[in-house]
Amino acid sequence: MEISIKRIPWASIFIWTALILVLVFTVMPLVFMLTSSFMTSRQIVRMPFSWIPETFHYDNYIKALRGNDGSWIFPRNVFNSLFVSITVAITTILIASITGYGIAKFNFRGRNLIFMMIMATMMIPFEAIMIPLYMVATGLRMQDTYAGLIVPFLVSAFGVFQMRQYLTTFPSEYLDASRVDGLGEFGIFWRIVFPNCAPVIATLGILSFRGQWDNLLWPLLVTQSEKMKTIPLYISKFAEEKLTDEGAMMAVAVIASLPMFIMFGALSKYFIGGSAVYESRKG
Amino acid sequence: MKRKYIGIERKEARWGFAFTVPAILFFSVFSFYPILNALYTSMFDKRVLSLLPPNFMGLGNYTYIFTSPDFWNSIRATFVFTMGTFIPIVIFSLMVATFMVNLKSKHARGFFQIAFYTPAVISSVVAAAIWLLIFDPRGLGNQWVNAFLNTPGIDRKWLADKTMVQVSTMIVYFWKYIGYFVILFITGLSAIPPAIYEAATIDGSSKWQAFWRITLPLLKPTVVLVSIMAMLQCLKTFSTQYLFVQGGAPRAPINVITLNIYTTGIRNQRIGRASAMSIVLFLIMLIFTWLQFRFSKSEEVEY
Repeated sequence: MEISIKRIPWASIFIWTALILVLVFTVMPLVFMLTSSFMTSRQIVRMPFSWIPETFHYDNYIKALRGNDGSWIFPRNVFNSLFVSITVAITTILIASITGYGIAKFNFRGRNLIFMMIMATMMIPFEAIMIPLYMVATGLRMQDTYAGLIVPFLVSAFGVFQMRQYLTTFPSEYLDASRVDGLGEFGIFWRIVFPNCAPVIATLGILSFRGQWDNLLWPLLVTQSEKMKTIPLYISKFAEEKLTDEGAMMAVAVIASLPMFIMFGALSKYFIGGSAVYESRKG
Repeated sequence: MKRKYIGIERKEARWGFAFTVPAILFFSVFSFYPILNALYTSMFDKRVLSLLPPNFMGLGNYTYIFTSPDFWNSIRATFVFTMGTFIPIVIFSLMVATFMVNLKSKHARGFFQIAFYTPAVISSVVAAAIWLLIFDPRGLGNQWVNAFLNTPGIDRKWLADKTMVQVSTMIVYFWKYIGYFVILFITGLSAIPPAIYEAATIDGSSKWQAFWRITLPLLKPTVVLVSIMAMLQCLKTFSTQYLFVQGGAPRAPINVITLNIYTTGIRNQRIGRASAMSIVLFLIMLIFTWLQFRFSKSEEVEY
């Protein structure tokens, strides 16, 4: 593009410096989490901080799993988080795709009204309905159960929207051809439509899994016993008792982040694509 | 022939209805009913522990919260947090995204994207927990700032001072979401056809001019949308503030509306009052969502 040979590329030096500074800012706290999870509390708050632990103090991980009260409840909480997040991801994918398919490919009275209504729920922030929702959950005797943790998130309006957008462009000829071949409506959905939704399914699955993995507010309301709690609640309890053990707290943080890091490593394009999808929400 | 045609249509309608009914039922019970219920409950003096039937109060709860300094403090805390977070996040992520699209190496760009996005992957509670330790008086926060400003031994009181604790929550949010917004802007920037820049270069414009005269105007719809999205997210913030308060930070400066709803409704069992707060939060967010839709309709750019 440019012909000059000896020019010092100030612009690119500047860009690289800036980006590396941002890199330090974003990555350092994560490195801090990892290294300090192998340190004693005294090493963590030592000035200056040494980034490499002197000895690998993996005792923190045992403490994290055992808990301050020695109850070993954390593994159970990890299981709860995994179970709830996976279930919500699966139900969201299934219900959102079948609803999106119904709206995108079937003509019936009230179709647009139904779509508009589902879209309207996106304007209702969870934080504004959490208290009535809590009363609904209590009324249905779902407090302190897995049902209570899962049911309010079975499907998301955003998921329905994404599926509907995606399936609107799905060629109807395939559907008609399958009908002629004698496949039932459920069969068409399950064998023809659903397998073709793979890219949206991946994005939606990640978004829903992550939503529950990260959910603090609802489990805070709906669970009471320690054995029904999820990871975010366990962490917040640790923060309360923080002065007891910083290293163990970071070990908990590492364990809590591992599934997300593994998923991100394997499926990063869907994570990043997923945020771009939000952009397409316009219109 | 005609009869059969109607038959197919009806069959289609039936299936379409069957496929959408479960979702409709779900949203009725878990979205529409709760928001209507919140509106209804906000008119009553409802307390969970009380055995008496709740008294109708009309707008009593609303007059109560709007004359209570505690709720005004929450509105202040929420808006300070929202403004203090979304403005820097939008400006910085736009800058970083512009730098990144100017990188010649595709690999470098991909690497930075992933590295910047990583904090968004971990849960917000973990993010708050990490920063709780960094903001410890003996922690990395003080060490870094003092090394940078060459002021050894000064404690910035990240979690103790009432101004600093607000800044601290903003930093956590900024750190967690910068990569996410960078990617949104990169998507927006990549949609601008390179031909426009080539034309500008031929006409003798510098990169700097090109940014202000071409990129920014064309990117305006994305900027507006991303800003509103960021604001909507900030208005709902809860985890960071909750965890900081749990960790011993003073409550008042960071008592955002969501935290206040939680405390009033669940801890103090003042359901009616908390419902009124929820409705206020809902209305604030509705206004921003309406703005979002308005802008997304009118500001669409065609290349």
